[in-house]
Formats: sequence, structure tokens, C-alpha cells
Amino acid sequence: MTTVELDIDDLLESLDTMASQRPVAAQIVAMTNDDRAGAGELAAAVGADVALATKVMRLANSAYFGLSGRVPSLQFAVTVIGFNSVRSLATVALAGIDDAHALPEGFWHVSVHLAVASRTVAPQFQVNPTDAMCLGLLAELGAALLHQADTNGYAEIVAETDLGAERFLAESRRYGVCAPELTADALQQWSFPIGMVDALRAVPHGTEGAMLRTAYELTGRITRREHKPTPLDRLSERRVSETQTRARIAAIRADVTDLRSALGL
Amino acid sequence: MTVSDTPTGRDALSSRQPDDVVAAVFHAAAAERETVLIVAELDEQGEPVIRWANPMASELVGLASSDLEGTRLRDHMTGLPGSRLSSMCRRERSTTTAVSLRTATGERLACRVRAVPAPDGRLWTLQVQRAQSDRELALRASADAHEQRFRVLAERSPVPTMMSEQGMRLGHVNDALCVLLGVPADRLTGTGWMSYAHPDDLALITDTAVAALSGQEREIHARFIDSHGLVRHTDMRCTPLHTPGVGDGFVATLEDITERLAFEAQLSYQATHDSLTGLPLRTRLWEHLKTALDDPDAPLACMFLDLDNFKIVNDSLGHTAGDKLLVEIARRLKAAVRPGDLVARFGGDEFVVACATASLDAALEVADRMLRVLADPVDLDGVEIHPRASVGVVLRGPDHATPDDLIRDCDIAMYQAKSRGKGRIMALDEGARTAVYDTLTLVSELRLALEERTITLCYQPIMRCEGADGELLSVEALARWDHPTRGPVPAEQFVRLAEEHGLVRELGQHVLDAACASLAEWQRQLGPLAPPRINVNLSALQMNDSRLVQAVKRTLRRHGLRPEQLCLEITESALVIDPAAASAILLQLRDHGVQVAIDDFGTGYSSLAYLRRLPVTYLKVDRSFVAELEDGHTMVTHAVVGLAHSLGIGVVAEGVETARQMEILEEMNCAVLQGFGISRPLDGPAFAAWCRAGYPRALASAS
Repeated sequence: MTTVELDIDDLLESLDTMASQRPVAAQIVAMTNDDRAGAGELAAAVGADVALATKVMRLANSAYFGLSGRVPSLQFAVTVIGFNSVRSLATVALAGIDDAHALPEGFWHVSVHLAVASRTVAPQFQVNPTDAMCLGLLAELGAALLHQADTNGYAEIVAETDLGAERFLAESRRYGVCAPELTADALQQWSFPIGMVDALRAVPHGTEGAMLRTAYELTGRITRREHKPTPLDRLSERRVSETQTRARIAAIRADVTDLRSALGL
Repeated sequence: MTVSDTPTGRDALSSRQPDDVVAAVFHAAAAERETVLIVAELDEQGEPVIRWANPMASELVGLASSDLEGTRLRDHMTGLPGSRLSSMCRRERSTTTAVSLRTATGERLACRVRAVPAPDGRLWTLQVQRAQSDRELALRASADAHEQRFRVLAERSPVPTMMSEQGMRLGHVNDALCVLLGVPADRLTGTGWMSYAHPDDLALITDTAVAALSGQEREIHARFIDSHGLVRHTDMRCTPLHTPGVGDGFVATLEDITERLAFEAQLSYQATHDSLTGLPLRTRLWEHLKTALDDPDAPLACMFLDLDNFKIVNDSLGHTAGDKLLVEIARRLKAAVRPGDLVARFGGDEFVVACATASLDAALEVADRMLRVLADPVDLDGVEIHPRASVGVVLRGPDHATPDDLIRDCDIAMYQAKSRGKGRIMALDEGARTAVYDTLTLVSELRLALEERTITLCYQPIMRCEGADGELLSVEALARWDHPTRGPVPAEQFVRLAEEHGLVRELGQHVLDAACASLAEWQRQLGPLAPPRINVNLSALQMNDSRLVQAVKRTLRRHGLRPEQLCLEITESALVIDPAAASAILLQLRDHGVQVAIDDFGTGYSSLAYLRRLPVTYLKVDRSFVAELEDGHTMVTHAVVGLAHSLGIGVVAEGVETARQMEILEEMNCAVLQGFGISRPLDGPAFAAWCRAGYPRALASAS
């Protein structure tokens, strides 16, 4: 496979450029990194971006949080979904992938499945399910960036490789970095919690990436007919076994609809 | 240039600090003993190069500052796999990067580097921190210890506890909650616990959690359903929980109050249900009726059921058999009514049934079914009983504002049924209800009349008539009630009301007192012309009043009369009710010296054997027998007169109105007469005048 000299800095630079076009989202990302920020201030900031506010309200009123139709105010919605979720939704807006047309094939289909799969297996990794959902939702941000930088080449990778280790390897060979690692760079740049950054960076290898690796595998099994399964025990470092897989996949399928609707996808 | 010289002077000041301020900050950074600071710039290849390092940086890396300066950053640290050091130096904003720092001794330290760009975009200040410094480790250990203590506290707590991580999603539940609901923790975390909330309480629970998420403390009574499908009642207390940088959640404790509520319910049940039959008592019946009456559209019929002749069962077979019968009746009634109807024990052998129907026909059908099932024989200790009952039925109407109104009306209907022969069902008759209301009003007015002493007396003389000669033997006091609006109320009517409504003692005492007062007054006014004695009527019920004798003695004493100046008249029926008690009272009165007359003799069923033993002074021949004398029907009067003579007691003919009657009575040797033929009943002054006039008879003597 051809190697492409990819200037990561340029890619991240482009993110900053896009961020300047969504100042509200940028402000929210900055605010959520500040422990002193309160729900009232955050809600006021979110309220300035109608599209983002709508997503926050929809998500708070989704079945997942158990308050369907009972969250009337943005401030309450912010407390319900948590600051991390607000930051993740803002990041999606900030990166311009919420309404971009130039995204890899099936980008949101994969991302939403990753989000739901992550939160489904999160308890096995002692991870907060909502934080896991945020991680899954943003994991493919790097793929969007690679696609922007090398549209045809990346489309070829998506078409020819299976989701998971095979694709990470192909991405690393072609760009020197795989999509989750690139996402880690981006989130690090926006001062996301170091735990999230480390989890993304360790997706190809490393204990901290086990949960996302497992989520990628489950997503692959659900979204790709030709997916070649890898044993979950190995991917998850024995946290998740194959025994409950059918039930888990059924649960993920059911929740995906809810999350997709909440995100307006 | 001064700040005010330019509109952007404030911005310019912030970007160009005075040299002395910059020098002060630099000095502090250079002397800083806690923080590792490095100033870097990018070389031509875009690689970060160290321009300056403070002593702490020198100490961390293990090289002198002069040896650090000019070296590339990558000579001392590497980024994590997949990351590049150059990406930490961004002109637009600060960044934080995880790195692996290599010391002069070759040791590798995990660090985080925060890079802050200088305003000119050429230099970056790098603040290097150990990823896990001693302080961080200590803080982390302390936090872990706190968390562990909390976890132990929460998990070992006997109080079921849940903690939400965000919104309604639980991040943690303790063992007690798992035990309460009988499910493992992983089925309760997230929103799993909500599926164990009672469906009817889920909205309240959610509202409460929402309030807690908004910062309010709340306490509610919430029901949950455990894994066995049993309802657990809890006292749920929600407290807000704020986690900086994460959001708001809540902590809830669920105190299991199922047993307590069950105990309270048992106490409440015992207080509102009959221990013998298990039927609801009046309190519960009242609640049921009130709930129905509060809803103007609720259909409601009420039935009052009274067992016929239950007292006979109790008296003849004993209370145990009576109780057994009541239990069986209750069982049959419950089986006879429809679902939703309420059968209550009202008291003794009385039951009330509340039916949810607006149709009188449907209510009568239920009542009919009840009577049919009741009529089946019951075996009580070998004795076969065929229970019967009288039932009064009433449909709710506009006059029924309270349960009392409804019960009162079906009670009236039941008495109608009972008075028409028992074993019957009667729907409330408006005429009967009006009559009952009228009676109740009259009773109330009678009570008032007694209090105000407006029951008056009139007097009718009793004379011995022998030819033209006449001797005044006594005078009978007759009670009169001249009602302010109804006019004169017949004595039979108000005496019966007094007997039926517990006023007979007051009425009797009032008449006795007024009569004795009159006699005493006449004796003072008339001297020898005054009647020697006064007759006062006693009610049959007074013959069972053990206090009667004392009351009579006190009254005579109060008015200065001798006992023989009083004659008490009782009817035959008064003797029949309880002959032994009547005999005892009469004996005491006679021993005291009071005379006794049997009134209306011949119309009742008095035993001649008793009559012989009773201390009777006179028999009074009933006016109906006197009235038929002129028609040739003299046998009864003759027999009574003969009986009195045979027993050696006096005899008085009542209702004597004609000269012919006087003649016939004289022939029978009955000379003591009373009636219009002697004198009509007169009021006090008129009677005194009649005495002064020498007792003029209304009719001339037959002779």
C-alpha cells in the first residue's frame, strides 16, 4: 500500500480553523474543562447554538437517561447528560462532522454503534457508561480527518479493510497513524481528560484501549456482513466473553435507534 | 504614550507589561522550587529546542541549565506512540501532552507537559509535571481511601441506597438495595432500577429525582416490586449530589417500611372491621359512603338489614350460638352481593349493604337475593334455624348529603318493613319518611315542652254517688299538651312518643310533681272542700324503674302530702311486661301507703292470680264496657264489679256519661263513678271553682 506523507500538524491546524467557525462550540469545550463551570453557565453557552442545544435536549430526553419527555430546560438537560456528553456533542460540532458531507462511507452509522457498544460494555471495564458513550461517539473523528486529507485513498481503505485491527494497520501503514490515535491527538489538543486521550491512543495496542477495541469488534459484527470476528476475550483482555454476545448485540441494536434519534441523525 | 492616548490602550498594556513586572515574574519562575519550567522555540525543521530551563527542570533531567539550553526537546523526552512533540507547540492555544521523560541517568519518567504559547508566537513556556507526582500519589491515595471508606459505609449500610451518576442513571447501588429487590447490582445500575419501580409510582419517583437533580431534597412514599413480584413500600429520600466537572446526580435511600405499613394496616383493619364476622364496621362504611356521595355521579343504593327474632336465638341458645349465626349470616351476605358492593356490620344483628347501582330494581334484586340465601337453614348446636330479616332499601337522592342521611332513610325503610310483618323488603316510602321526620320534630318539641313545663294538667273528679248524695273521693290528673302550632296533642300520642324516645321518666315526674302541687294548693285554698286524694297515671315503662318509689316519696314529702293522698294508676299491660318487677314496686308503694288502681281493666290480659296477690286498691272499669251498658251488654262490667267485690277491692266506673249508665251501675252496686256525667276534665282554677260550688254533677241523679 502506498505511503502518504501526512502532516498531522496541518490536520490539527485545520481543526482550529474550523473551530473558529463554531465559536460557541469552542467556548463550550473550553468551559467543560473547567471544574468551576456550573450547569447554569454551560447551559447559557449551549443555548447560543440552537443546533447544539437541540441535540442536548434530545439526548437528555432520550430513553437512555430514563427521563423521556421530562427534561424541560437546557440547564436541567446539561445536568442530566453530564458535562462530558455536552463536551462531546460540542466537539462533534467543533470538528464540523455534524453536518459535513465529506465523511467516510457509513461514518455516523459506525460512530453511533461505537458509542452504544462502548456504553454497553463499559461496566465490564469499570468505566462510566456515559463517558464510554462519549468516547465511542468521538473515536472516529480521526477517520473523518484522514478522509478530508486523502479522500480517495481513505475511501479505498474503508472499502478494502475490515473495521478494527485490519483497518488500524492499514491506516498506520498509509498515514503513520491510525484513526483513533489521530482522534487522541485532536482531543488532547482540546484538553480533553487525559484518560480519554490515553484510551484512544491505546486502541491499537494497550490495556487502556481494550474497551474501545471491544466496541469496534461488536460494531464490526453488527455493521459489516463480511466482518471476520476476533474473539472478544482476547480483545477485551478477558473482560468480555462471547457468551453474552447475542444479547449484547440485540441491546446495542435497540439502543442505536434511540441515540441516532437523539442526535438527529 | 499613555493608556488613554489610544482606544486600544488597555489591550496594549496587557500585551506589553512594564519591564519591572516581567522581571519580577521571571525572577519568580527562575527561583521556583515546585514547578519545572522550560522555554522552547521551534528550529528551522519545526523541532522544539530548549532556550531556557529553571533550576527545577535542571534537577528533574539531571543536567545543568547550560547543558539543557540549545538542545532539542526530543533529546530529553518522547511523546507516546503515535504522537509527536512538535504538535504540543501550537500558536493558537495551550496544549497538554503526555510524554516520557528521560533523565541523565537513563531513568524514564511519565510526565505531562503543558505548553503555553507566548504572545509573539515564537516561544512556548513548557510546564512539566510528573504524571504521578508524590503529591498526586498522596492525593490519589487519600481520595482512594475516602472512596473506600464511603464504599464500605454505603455497601455495609443496612439502608438500601442508590446513587445516580447522571440523571436517572444509577452508577452505584449497595447490597441492601439488592437484597430489598432480590436482584444483583448489575440489573439495577443504569436505568435498570426503574423497571422495579411500581408502575403507578414511577412518575412520582421520576418527579422526585428530577427535583433532587435540580438541587432540592425530597422525601416520598414509593413502591417497588421485587424479583418475586411482591410490592415493597419504601420511604424514599433523595438528596442532590453535585460532582464538579461532571454534572448533577442524586443519592437516594429507601427505607423499607413494608412490614410497618402491614402492621399499621392490620391495626387499621382491626379498628375498622368486626372481629367476629370480619365485616367492615361503621367507620369503614362511613368512608365508603362518603367517597361515593362526594362523587355526584356515583351510583349508590343503601340497604339496612335487621335479623328478625335474633334475640330469641341469643336468649334461648346462648350468645355462642348467636355469634355463630351472625358469622354465617355475614358469610352469606358477602356471597350474595355483587363485586364492589360493601357489606358492613352496623351493630348487633344489623347489617348495612352499600350497592353501586342507580337502579332501584337492581337494588331490590340484590336485597331479594340476600333474603333468599339467608333463609336457608342454619344448624346451631343441633337446632335448625331459618333466619329471616327485614330489609330497608333507599337510593341516593338529593336529600342525601352525608352518610348519616342515607343510613337514616334506609333505617326508616327497614322499620317500615319490620312493622309490616318482618321478613320483608321495603323501599323508602316518602310518606313514611315525612311521618318519621314529623315524629322526630314532635319529640324535640316535647322535650322542650318538658323543659319549659308547658305540659299542663286538667282534673276530672271521681265521686261516690248514692242517689242525690255525692262524695268527692279523688281527682284524676290528666296531662295536656297544647302545642303552639299544632294545637292540642292527644295524650296517647305524646305519652307514646315519650315512651319511645326515653322521655317517660321526665314526663311522669313532671305530672306527678304538678299533680301533688295542685292537691297541696287546693287543700290550702279549699280546706274540707278539697279532694282528699289525687290519681296520677303511670306509664308501663315506669313500672320497671327502680327509682320510681324514691321519686314518689320525695315528691310527696316536698309537697307535704301523706302517701294515702296519692293513688297511682297503672294499666293492665304494665303488669304484663314484667309482673315480678311491677309487683315488687307496687308492694313498696303500698307499704309506704300509696294507693294503686288498675286502669282500663278488662281490656288487657292481666292474670287473675297476679291480681289477687297485687296490692291493688281499685279496679277501674274501662269506658268501653260502660258505654255498652245501655245496649244491654252488662256482663263484662258486672263481672269486673263482681270480681272487685270478691277480691275485696274498690271499683271505679270510667266514662260515665248518662243517667241511665248511673242507674245500671248503681244496680250493680258500683257507686264510684268518673266521667262527663259527673264532670268534664277541668283546668286547675275551674276545678277549684267546681269544688267550691259543692261538686255539682253534670247530670242529675238517676234517682
